Amino acid sequence: MNRSPVALLVLTLAPALLGLAIFRAYPIGLAFYESLYTTIGGERIFVGLGNYADLFADSGFWKSMRVTLWFNLIINPLQVALALALALMFVQKLPGMALFRLLFLIPIGVSLPVAVIIWRIVLLPEGFLNGALGAIGLGPYRFLTSPDFALYSIIGIATWKGISYWMIFLVGGLQNIPPEINEAARLEGASPWQRLWLVTLPLLKPTLLFVLVADITINFLLFAPVFMLTGGGPRGSTNVLMYEAYKSGFVFGDMGRAMAIVVCLVVMLLIIVAIQFRLLSSAPAREGK
Amino acid sequence: MTRLPLLTTALAIGLTATAHAETTLTVLMIEGLDKGSMEAVADAYMAKHADVKVEIQSLPWNQFFQVSEMRLKSKDAAVDLIYTDAPVVASYAANGYILPFDDAVASEAKGKLVASSVATGTYDGKLYSLPMNSSAQVLFYNIDLLKAAGVTPPNGLAKDSVTKPTDIVNLAEDDRWTFEQVAEAAKAVSGDEGGKGKPWGFAFEQFGELYQLQPLGASLGGELISSDAMTAESHLNGDAWTKAATWWSDLFNKDNVSPRSLGFGEAAQMFNNGQLAMFVGGTWNVAGVAGSSINFGIAPHPKFAEGKAATPTGSWYLSVTKASPDAAAAADFAKFAALSDKGTDVWFKTLNQLPVTNRLLDEINADPAYDAFPASVMRLSAWESRNTAVPRPVTVAFSQLQDAFRTAFTDIANGVPVEEALDTAVDAYDQAAKRLNRK
Amino acid sequence: MSPTARKALIYLAIAVTAFVFVLPLWWAIASSFRPNDAMFADLFPFTPRALLPEPFTVEAYVAIFERGFGSIIANTLLVAGLTTALGLVVNALAGYAFALFEFPGKSAVLGVVVVSFMLPFEAIAMPLYSVVSQLGWIDHVAALVVPSVANGLAVFLFYQFFQQVPKDYYEAARLEGAGWLRILWSVYVPLSLPTCISAGLMLFIFQWEAFLWPLLAMPAQQFKVIQVGMAAFQDQYTTAWNQLFGAAVITALIPMLLLIPLQRYYVQGLAGSGIKG
Repeated sequence: MNRSPVALLVLTLAPALLGLAIFRAYPIGLAFYESLYTTIGGERIFVGLGNYADLFADSGFWKSMRVTLWFNLIINPLQVALALALALMFVQKLPGMALFRLLFLIPIGVSLPVAVIIWRIVLLPEGFLNGALGAIGLGPYRFLTSPDFALYSIIGIATWKGISYWMIFLVGGLQNIPPEINEAARLEGASPWQRLWLVTLPLLKPTLLFVLVADITINFLLFAPVFMLTGGGPRGSTNVLMYEAYKSGFVFGDMGRAMAIVVCLVVMLLIIVAIQFRLLSSAPAREGK
Repeated sequence: MTRLPLLTTALAIGLTATAHAETTLTVLMIEGLDKGSMEAVADAYMAKHADVKVEIQSLPWNQFFQVSEMRLKSKDAAVDLIYTDAPVVASYAANGYILPFDDAVASEAKGKLVASSVATGTYDGKLYSLPMNSSAQVLFYNIDLLKAAGVTPPNGLAKDSVTKPTDIVNLAEDDRWTFEQVAEAAKAVSGDEGGKGKPWGFAFEQFGELYQLQPLGASLGGELISSDAMTAESHLNGDAWTKAATWWSDLFNKDNVSPRSLGFGEAAQMFNNGQLAMFVGGTWNVAGVAGSSINFGIAPHPKFAEGKAATPTGSWYLSVTKASPDAAAAADFAKFAALSDKGTDVWFKTLNQLPVTNRLLDEINADPAYDAFPASVMRLSAWESRNTAVPRPVTVAFSQLQDAFRTAFTDIANGVPVEEALDTAVDAYDQAAKRLNRK
Repeated sequence: MSPTARKALIYLAIAVTAFVFVLPLWWAIASSFRPNDAMFADLFPFTPRALLPEPFTVEAYVAIFERGFGSIIANTLLVAGLTTALGLVVNALAGYAFALFEFPGKSAVLGVVVVSFMLPFEAIAMPLYSVVSQLGWIDHVAALVVPSVANGLAVFLFYQFFQQVPKDYYEAARLEGAGWLRILWSVYVPLSLPTCISAGLMLFIFQWEAFLWPLLAMPAQQFKVIQVGMAAFQDQYTTAWNQLFGAAVITALIPMLLLIPLQRYYVQGLAGSGIKG
């Protein structure tokens, strides 16, 4: 085995990096380039940072920014916490677990548009949930048409759809924790709660970091439920930035503005992810002792 | 974004079956019945032009605009003709996606087609798109539900009724229900607990959409935007629209007779299930409703008591793309499909949507086959399309106007005050119009 | 709290969660067995009868398969299967290289990998369409598979995992004279089965839900995938709700059925896996 590490590096990295360069990085470059242009009457005109200047002067953009940040501040911790709880349930060894595990996997295969169609029926003023709440004397609530509820309904739907998927990653992470460590802690008299906080969670950090980063990315870019259910309303309460970008680009044909919004989103994402790396990536499990 | 000839080569390889044809035209359109009809028109065309092969590509309705816009924007030479919805003609033309027809075609179109349809296909003085058909909206009512609520149903077309051309004129001119009557009847049906114990009183098929609701303001003489298309100020938030929007608001917030949000096709579903007493919807619903067990009738589109009759109109057009390598051949096919007797006959017979040629409209008026119900609905629609139809405004910022309108009317239904919602919509439109016209 | 009480509590939580997961879908399943015009009969207002498939009919499922949904499912399985298989190899190799070797500019390259999954697909769809049509792949299966094989998120996932594997393993195997491929195959892969399943699931679901791209890249629509096929249930004027839900039930079942046999790697393989120092 005398292959030089350079050849080895090229062999292992080339397929992935080539694919990413051609099918991701190059289109991303073009998308960024597009954000420096505008189209007026069919003519492409270079405007430099003009699209960004327009955005920052636009009160609608900042309102949408507030909605986006608030949405993400709630949905990401919620989804990761619930996915973790789900993962801990999934690995329980109890009678009948095979069936429950099956049921836990259901939302993974339901595509988001279908999930949205179904949940709309559940959340309608005369729908399923209000019918059930009415039976115990509550409601009816306007889950999708009141500015106080709509955003949280969207969060609920995305969470129902998303947490099974993230659970799979966390279950995988739990398997990488040596059972002996937990066993040793148990013998030393640690309660289940202490074992979770002091043993499982610290060892799960790398997986948690991955799930958090991937989940935040997806939620920052999520707009399908908004598009299908509320159109950004009522009163702009669900108008997340990505929906604003989608509308600009594909409904209004204003690709320059759309790409400028997307670039802003990605920059924010990068900052958030960088902070997470700082906070979480000093993984203690690396020594594996 | 530039396109290399490779794509055309790849397509050519994929189309070896068409080796005999010298020219291949691709029409991009929506999936469904329209596609089948276009295929029939294409067959008729190819029977006469052996050297041309017409291919139909389709996209699902929900994604049609997004995906076709992407292909047009990337100057996709593989698309020669694009099925164009009436309101996007102006923006396609302004963005340089489509080519204008020459003067000969334009004057032929003016001679043969309904004027409002030609106007919608025209931008900046040039005819960019040829109309394939139009659309009409009517009032569907459940006779049994209205009678049970003590309401005399409107005069209209119903089972076993025979309607001569003169009857249609009388019905449309003198017997049209008012929106005030509709609201009263709806209240009688649903009490104030619509959708719970009792059926809902009334709904529009396309919730909050500009196409559907434009007649509300138009009936009171209200325009959506100024004639130079630069502003909506004092139009969309003027007196007429404020009054119209207040009537809309009362449906939900005061009288509680109409469901607050309706998905696509749900109004017809609820009507067919007996859960909705009346709805204003497209004539495309007639077959479905006639197939249900509901005892129903069809009346002309309502108007305001103090206003004039106004009805939605406009449907699909056909345009030649700028990127087409065979623009002349494509224009010839468009001419065949939209203007020739043969083409328009095939289209109408297979799709059965309201035509735009005066010839076919006259035929519908004269042909006794349209005396009986429900074919008589087509005769009513034909009358409306020539007398009460109000085309959507032509503006480059139509998409923004439509979006602002939908947002405003959805918000109003959800309880936002009328003035606030309309002012917000006016701001949104004015900003967009300014951005798109800053030459 | 006694262990029995604790167990009962956990059990209750599990049952409630499963119920919440299933209930909305149950309505869709029941509705897929109704005729289309009876779809909303017991909704608006909601009555419990809406959860029963009555009047019962399997016409939706018959219609789905008459529309050729069988081959649409096969197409999607082909695309998703190819992407998953190729993607696992390609992305695992890259993750392995990033985790094991130091090279100049490594963090910059890693940064690009991370950014590559942060762009919404809508933003790159049009430039990607230009690239793929220049390659002459429009209307070829390659247009669906190849661009999705390299996946920044999957590389990142493998990198995260391989980084945790103690370097001593690698050194020890090297001293015994094993080549890098052998080390990857006999040391790293057995350790990373759960990670492989996670990454495979990610690649698979990405294709399973792909919609916008297949519409753009396969304009002739001779080769349809599931989400494109399902979009055809809603046309301009009508929706075949029962078929839509029927197809949704089928598409939800398939990934679940594929995951079930893999469960044992998670739940029963506890003792075998794990990184022991």
